[in-house]
Amino acid sequence: MNLALLRADLTAISGEQYVREHPVDRHIYGQTPLLAVAPGSLEELAQTVARLAAEPVAIVPWGGGTQQTWGRPPARPFVVVETSRLNRILDYTPDDLTISVEAGMTLGALSAALAANGQMLPFDCPLPAQATIGGLLATAMDGPRRLGYGSARDLLIGIRVVEATGRISKAGGMVVKNVSGFDMMKLYLGSFGTLAIIASANFKLIPQPRAAASILCRAATPAPLWKLINAIAASQLVPVAVEYLEGFDVAGAPCAVAVRSEGLPAAVERHVRDVTAFAQQAGVSAEPLRDAAHEQLWNAINDAPQTATLAADEVVVRVTCLPADLSNAIAAARAAAQRANLPLQVTARALNGVAYLRVRGSAEALREWHAALLKAAPQTMLLAAPPALIAELPAFGTHIANLDLMRRIKQEFDPADLLNPGRFVVGQVA
Amino acid sequence: MNRAELIAELERILGPRGVVATPDALLTYDADGCVMDTHEPHVVALPTSAEQVAAIVRLAARAGMPIVPRGAGTGLSGGATPMQGGIVISTARMDKILQVDTANGRVLCQPGVINWELSQYLKPFGYQFAPDPSSQKACTVGGNIANNSGGPHCLKYGITASHVLAVQVVLPDGSIVWTGDGSAHTPGYDLTGVITGSEGTIGFVTAAWLRLTRLPEAVRVVLALFPDIAGASNTVSQVIASGLLPAALEIMDRLAIKAVNDMYKLGLPEAAGAALLIEVDGVEDGLDELLHDVTAICWRNGAIDVRPARTLAEQNQVWAARKNAFGAMGRLAPTYYLVDTVVPRTKLPQTMDEVGRISREFRLPIANVFHAGDGNLHPIILFDRRDRSQNQRALEAATGVMKVSIDFGGVISGEHGIGVEKQDYMTLLFTTDDLAAMAGLHQSFDPHDLFNPGKVFPKGRGCGELAALRRSGVAWSALKSS
Repeated sequence: MNLALLRADLTAISGEQYVREHPVDRHIYGQTPLLAVAPGSLEELAQTVARLAAEPVAIVPWGGGTQQTWGRPPARPFVVVETSRLNRILDYTPDDLTISVEAGMTLGALSAALAANGQMLPFDCPLPAQATIGGLLATAMDGPRRLGYGSARDLLIGIRVVEATGRISKAGGMVVKNVSGFDMMKLYLGSFGTLAIIASANFKLIPQPRAAASILCRAATPAPLWKLINAIAASQLVPVAVEYLEGFDVAGAPCAVAVRSEGLPAAVERHVRDVTAFAQQAGVSAEPLRDAAHEQLWNAINDAPQTATLAADEVVVRVTCLPADLSNAIAAARAAAQRANLPLQVTARALNGVAYLRVRGSAEALREWHAALLKAAPQTMLLAAPPALIAELPAFGTHIANLDLMRRIKQEFDPADLLNPGRFVVGQVA
Repeated sequence: MNRAELIAELERILGPRGVVATPDALLTYDADGCVMDTHEPHVVALPTSAEQVAAIVRLAARAGMPIVPRGAGTGLSGGATPMQGGIVISTARMDKILQVDTANGRVLCQPGVINWELSQYLKPFGYQFAPDPSSQKACTVGGNIANNSGGPHCLKYGITASHVLAVQVVLPDGSIVWTGDGSAHTPGYDLTGVITGSEGTIGFVTAAWLRLTRLPEAVRVVLALFPDIAGASNTVSQVIASGLLPAALEIMDRLAIKAVNDMYKLGLPEAAGAALLIEVDGVEDGLDELLHDVTAICWRNGAIDVRPARTLAEQNQVWAARKNAFGAMGRLAPTYYLVDTVVPRTKLPQTMDEVGRISREFRLPIANVFHAGDGNLHPIILFDRRDRSQNQRALEAATGVMKVSIDFGGVISGEHGIGVEKQDYMTLLFTTDDLAAMAGLHQSFDPHDLFNPGKVFPKGRGCGELAALRRSGVAWSALKSS
């Protein structure tokens, strides 16, 4: 590879100041990219990819960089393609409750633009000031309010991508209901940038609620809180989030459940009353939180699974299981942590069967903890680990079905395995 | 393999009751609800299990014959019409609800379960299956999954894709796979998501874990009457813009009111130019406030009457009128062509003006019964199929509606699918590169074009050809020299 020539060609596309050689601030588990390039438009992005494909050299798409520890590190020397300059709103008619934005826009910037019109995209991801829309979609990151409003899977209505060859294609549209052609949004969502680079996305928006409040229920042990969670699930209440918390300092107790209600004022007050009553029946305390206290609690919960800043001995995982199995999976994680005296933090979408766990310890202790957890929750995904462990721990759990079919899809969309090689379940296919 | 051998093989797999091969019987499988194009199958298979479906698929591959999935045949885009003949696989005998798992918010079904029957079955548990197409008393959940069907309550509860947690499918290579177990993040690509809405072209759904939705504590329904459709359309746009979230917002125009009035004894004043059905649901608290605010918007837009449906019986009557409106069209004309497009919701009033213009231009009455809250139009073009001129004008009027919808930033189908009906309109919406990406997905599942061939993609643009184009990529050298 002639790096100087590649650099010159990329500079011709995006401009001198947007091409950097060996940028250490773009490393992934200690691997520094050959180059980092930040195209300024869809066309520049497409030309950049076409040029890199012609080399050919591996490509790692990069949004805010908050989730680059997810999955496996790159399998080959790579060039980082950043979306940071693709950060514009492309189309927004507030009264349609839809928006089209470029992939490099941060969720925070998008939320601010929407709030000005009394609207929201309730993705609740960690570090919204840094995390980009493209990155959230590529990883299918979820948030506590998926319970009430759905996740990106339900709110993404259109997409434009740059494929591995530099071709631009789109799917979906700017309407909330659409079966015109295949649902390619579902294909790219959560595909870790292994099929194409997301350039822009269209969303169905949610009006901001007229009222909101939380009920924070605290306990010394998990059991009564799961009783409370089951009571909420069996009721006809419609909370937008029910988050189980353990080892989470902000909650002010060893274990807690945070329930979030949004909607008309009378409906919110009804939730506060009923959840408080359920909590009393379950024998746990219940404190209503409003305004700033309510916001602060949820900002902390949203940030809890972040992987941008890690301790040197820290592992972060996402457990996914059927909702009724979640308390057992968390119990297994707790028991394994207690055996080795490891501090464990849990934030769990209790009614969705999704939990984010953080644990710290020696490499040996973390290895044992992870193995014990995998036995109880085989669909556990590794979001971050110390560099010494990342290569050996199963990144996507021990239960990956339909791998042949997934590899055929990867082969069709990226036969040269240029996009994020090695990172995803499909591994290296070239 | 000749036809007799094929039938003998099928009978060996399915037993004699599982095969339909007499010419008269085959005629009933030559179309679905879209009667513009018809074609008979070679044979119809009625399996009872995924294993039987897989055996039929392997047999079809050996015989070099396509398979065409069929649910209740209520589809409106020709998705179940065997345009190249082949084996129609009906899900009529795969109609069991297998497991209700309230602890995990899911229900396991075979594809031939009727949508309405599923929700009736779930009621005593306190749950429903939220997607509710107007054809729900006949259509099957398998068909709902294949078409990613909608319905009035999509406005609040989302489309079918949001309610399909995992599917068991027979793939074109004859294998049987589950795409997940209903848990939230299955590792790898979202196979459930791409199979849903793929119109039976990449996998044959043989079972599904569907999402249970809790029945709401309280429901309120009102019917607002307007002198014209503009008042109703403006109301819908303003309700959406105001951030209120009703469960359904459905409009019927003057012609539709006339048709359903006779049939359902609603006693609606036929002077009313439009009726807007509004449903709100949730916890009891706050519901009256919500309804009050929605009603105020109705009055501001010139409503002439707002009638609450006070009892459950009254609510059911209003909904029956809405959902059976298409059937009532038979009172107005011998044939109708139901067009399904979507526009951004602020464009609804202008689009309805254009639909009126198209009706005048092509001299055919058009009734409107539609999911206004989602911007999903259903102009119903009334004509007589025996009159060749009317036939032609109906097709041109439908094309006009699609073009107008696209001009306003919309799309050519919101819930009925592309099938055969709209395959040649796909190029109005998508570039060759867009279609080629879809073809790439198709090829990775069905490289030999065995499943429901000749659908979705424009005629004459085979998936193989489109996918080859995509693979050829963009030559950097060409870009550089330009």
